[in-house]
Amino acid sequence: MKIKINTTLLAAFMLLCVSSAFPQAKKPTIMILPSDVWCNTNGYMIEFDNQGTKVKVPDYKKAFQENADLLLVISKINGLMADRGFPLKNAESVLKSLANESAEDAMLTSKGGAGVVESPIDKLKKSAKADIIMQLTWTVNTTGPKKSITFNLQGLDSYTDKQIATAAGTGAPSFSAELPVLLEEAVLAHLDLFNNTLQAHFTDMFDNGREITIRIKKFDSWENDLETDYEGKELSAQIEDWLAKNTVKGRFSTTDATDNMMYIEQVRIPLYDETGKAIDARGFCKGLQTYLKNPPYSIVNKLMMKGLGQATIVLGDK
Amino acid sequence: MKTILLKTNLLFLMIIGFSVALNAQAKKKADKATAEWRYEVECVSTGASGSYLVKVWSYSKKPDVAINQAKKNAVHGIIFKGFTGSGAGCTQKPLANDPSLEQQKEEFFSDFFADGGKYMKFVSVSGDGSIAAEDRIKVGKEYKIGVVVSVSKDELRKDLEAAGIIKSLNSGF
Repeated sequence: MKIKINTTLLAAFMLLCVSSAFPQAKKPTIMILPSDVWCNTNGYMIEFDNQGTKVKVPDYKKAFQENADLLLVISKINGLMADRGFPLKNAESVLKSLANESAEDAMLTSKGGAGVVESPIDKLKKSAKADIIMQLTWTVNTTGPKKSITFNLQGLDSYTDKQIATAAGTGAPSFSAELPVLLEEAVLAHLDLFNNTLQAHFTDMFDNGREITIRIKKFDSWENDLETDYEGKELSAQIEDWLAKNTVKGRFSTTDATDNMMYIEQVRIPLYDETGKAIDARGFCKGLQTYLKNPPYSIVNKLMMKGLGQATIVLGDK
Repeated sequence: MKTILLKTNLLFLMIIGFSVALNAQAKKKADKATAEWRYEVECVSTGASGSYLVKVWSYSKKPDVAINQAKKNAVHGIIFKGFTGSGAGCTQKPLANDPSLEQQKEEFFSDFFADGGKYMKFVSVSGDGSIAAEDRIKVGKEYKIGVVVSVSKDELRKDLEAAGIIKSLNSGF
């Protein structure tokens, strides 16, 4: 019995050693959503008045509840992606979970009668999200009795707004095939190409680091700004120096910089820190946060994140 | 009488031996043509789940050798060459992203593409295997034969991923 326990412990220890020797990068989540064009064409939009301007936004809930073809396409893509070891987040389930969570939060009270705290920013962040959005569009082309499908699948990075994968094309016209059959054929015809481009993106990520965006802002209560000199250099320049030292091959681009804010794009961060732990935008920016907290800067700051690839540091307060 | 019988047998054996040697040489040439990318893969359909239906054009002086080589060429093409066509989904990239993969994993692929090798598991001739008249073209001294074959690309990809030859989509995560 003792030997058996020892063997199990040894195996567990070895597994731990192996997993820490080959750390795994943080896996991005992927979710499929119909494009705005598709929602608009098929009547799944909500119109509202935004301070005098009419704004249309996609009504995903209605689309999922009413369009069986959309469910078929999503289900087919989900199945094929799961087969490639990349199960997707189901947008319909995410929307349901969000609704349930809101209801539960509203009802949740402690024994002492306290409720759950939720700031306006927490509320705003409660939306269906994923690191990569697979944006789906199809149109049915009709020429006399013949029908064909134009299919467009785009992989969009939620943080860099870049299209990182794509597959698009028009299928062969058919006299007899029904729409679901044509859609299924379109998915099968395009998904391999989509995955090829997605794999190229992942390979680039492993070779050159994860691409993220960083925003630096300041609270109005802070008396200094990004142009304040520290040791003979403006704070914004000091931040850029830190980034040049800590990014992969010093790669980043400062897109916007004023005395109150900085917007830094195409920041290539390593996938692991020096201890071998997998990191994301938040993990990387914790380093910058600590750097700014310490002398000579001694700036109190707040770090916020969005998924794997976006982080915001607000200077001057918590 | 006995001498004539002996001579006939000897001649018969020589003919068989010569034909076997000729066939082996033709097969060797066909393998060389595969290694030198001397074949064409043409898309027929990618509609069926997990497989590609392709027409492979192979070259040989012996039509039978070209027909047999078609299966090997189809798998070779899907791994290293990809294929194009005018229809939807008829343009597919090769499973191997690295152009030098064949040289890097030479040992694996020489076993994989050996006669009766593992490649046979992923390919089958479509229909009854008969060749249409327009798919049998005489080009100079040799034949160019078009054979429609079905390749189980999902199974092939999984097998190559499991063997560590190509990377899976989720490798590293």
